[in-house]
Amino acid sequence: MQQSGFNPKARWDRFIPEGDDHNTEELNDRIDVLAWFRRGKIYPKAIAWKEKLYPIQKITYNWQERCGAEMINYFSVDTGCGLYQISFNNTTYGWKLDKIISLT
Amino acid sequence: MIMHIDMDAFFASIEQAINPRLKGRPLIVGSRPNKMHTVVCAASYEAKALGISSGMPSKEAFRLCPDLAFVPADQSRYIWTSEQIFALLKDYGFILNYASIDEFQLDIGSLTQRQILVQEIQSRIRQSFQITASIGIAKNWLLAKLASKINKPNGIAIITDKNQEEILAKVAVNKLCGVGEKTSLIMDALGIKTCLDLYQKTAWFLREHLGQAGLDLYAGLRQVGHLEPESSRPEVKSIGHSYTLPRASANPGFIHAWLSLLAEMVARRLRQKNLLSQTVHLWLNGPQIGNFSAQKTFQQATSDPYEIFQRGLKIMAFLGPGIPKIRALGITCSKLSQAKYLPLLKEQKQREELISALDQINSRYGENTIHPALIKLTQKIPQ
Repeated sequence: MQQSGFNPKARWDRFIPEGDDHNTEELNDRIDVLAWFRRGKIYPKAIAWKEKLYPIQKITYNWQERCGAEMINYFSVDTGCGLYQISFNNTTYGWKLDKIISLT
Repeated sequence: MIMHIDMDAFFASIEQAINPRLKGRPLIVGSRPNKMHTVVCAASYEAKALGISSGMPSKEAFRLCPDLAFVPADQSRYIWTSEQIFALLKDYGFILNYASIDEFQLDIGSLTQRQILVQEIQSRIRQSFQITASIGIAKNWLLAKLASKINKPNGIAIITDKNQEEILAKVAVNKLCGVGEKTSLIMDALGIKTCLDLYQKTAWFLREHLGQAGLDLYAGLRQVGHLEPESSRPEVKSIGHSYTLPRASANPGFIHAWLSLLAEMVARRLRQKNLLSQTVHLWLNGPQIGNFSAQKTFQQATSDPYEIFQRGLKIMAFLGPGIPKIRALGITCSKLSQAKYLPLLKEQKQREELISALDQINSRYGENTIHPALIKLTQKIPQ
């Protein structure tokens, strides 16, 4: 006898259409990012947003999500003046500022 | 021996790793972005200390702690981290069971250097993800899972034949997996307060008072367990999904939309496994109906979401005219068979081609890129 297995692919949240209570903090702004690609990993170093350059002091977390055929790499980054979620799309090679997590 | 790895306040710990300013603060992760109209799907240890627990309405949590930090759940972060931990554990070469999003089990056999392995796993998880795990080791998964809860967070507990009775005497029986609120009340009336009290009862006694569940617990506490390799695990017998609505509703559009969404999800998984289903099982829960569950077997096996939705509606009609207030619902497809034959009728063939085209679009651009319009109503929460 053993505990039944879990299937991480069986996710209901991927099926939910965006509704009226979607996260209003989302920005989804296209940005330029200075990044270091090393041994299959990505290290964003600075963000250029609204004609200002924000050097990244620390990547606090990173994760990936497959969206259809595209793979999105997410990073939560601390610039010293705020904590931001940015993402890199492996198919379009585009960077986005997804949202401001918190401001200092 | 089985090793059970249980992540500590998994979702909340990941959110604290993402935003270090939340570390040390009471935090809840809500299932929806609206912080006053959601339920707590995870609480940090600081929030748990204030009496906040998973499943609690967020309003109640904010009443207990007005300064509570709130983050809406983002499944992608948790799933990715969970899959990475699974991959990390797979490296050790033991038989591995993916028990849930935040629980993993390894069959470590008769390995002697358990303590070193446990510490290495805890350290690798902490270094890679800045979160902690509690680990329990015992002769079977039920005891190993119990052991993982004893010294949380970041704890280690090993239950051996020598210390088993001493440990079980200290643990309340409701900590044991499979002992829910109702069973716990029955046990309390029978004078079973600790896991040791339960362990000392005879199989006959437990069967008489708790039925099969009692016998399962009797066996679960005693047997020496092994995990089966993935290749020899039994094939899927059913595929289902359920959902708890933000509030009870009798709105037909809203209920039908959710039923349609669940049917879409179930059908998609059936088609991914190239399966067809003949039996549809519907489960509903609401203040007037309590738990309603019924199933129906149909002549034609299907993996068509619209057909599964229609079959669900037919079962719902057993309740009589109108829709009672529903708080949670689920749909499960069983009596599965491999999809071997191509449809003969022209209409069926066209329908198959349409579904196949929709699948291709959703596989290319992401789930739910294209969906029945009815599903949009899942977002219109009736007042």
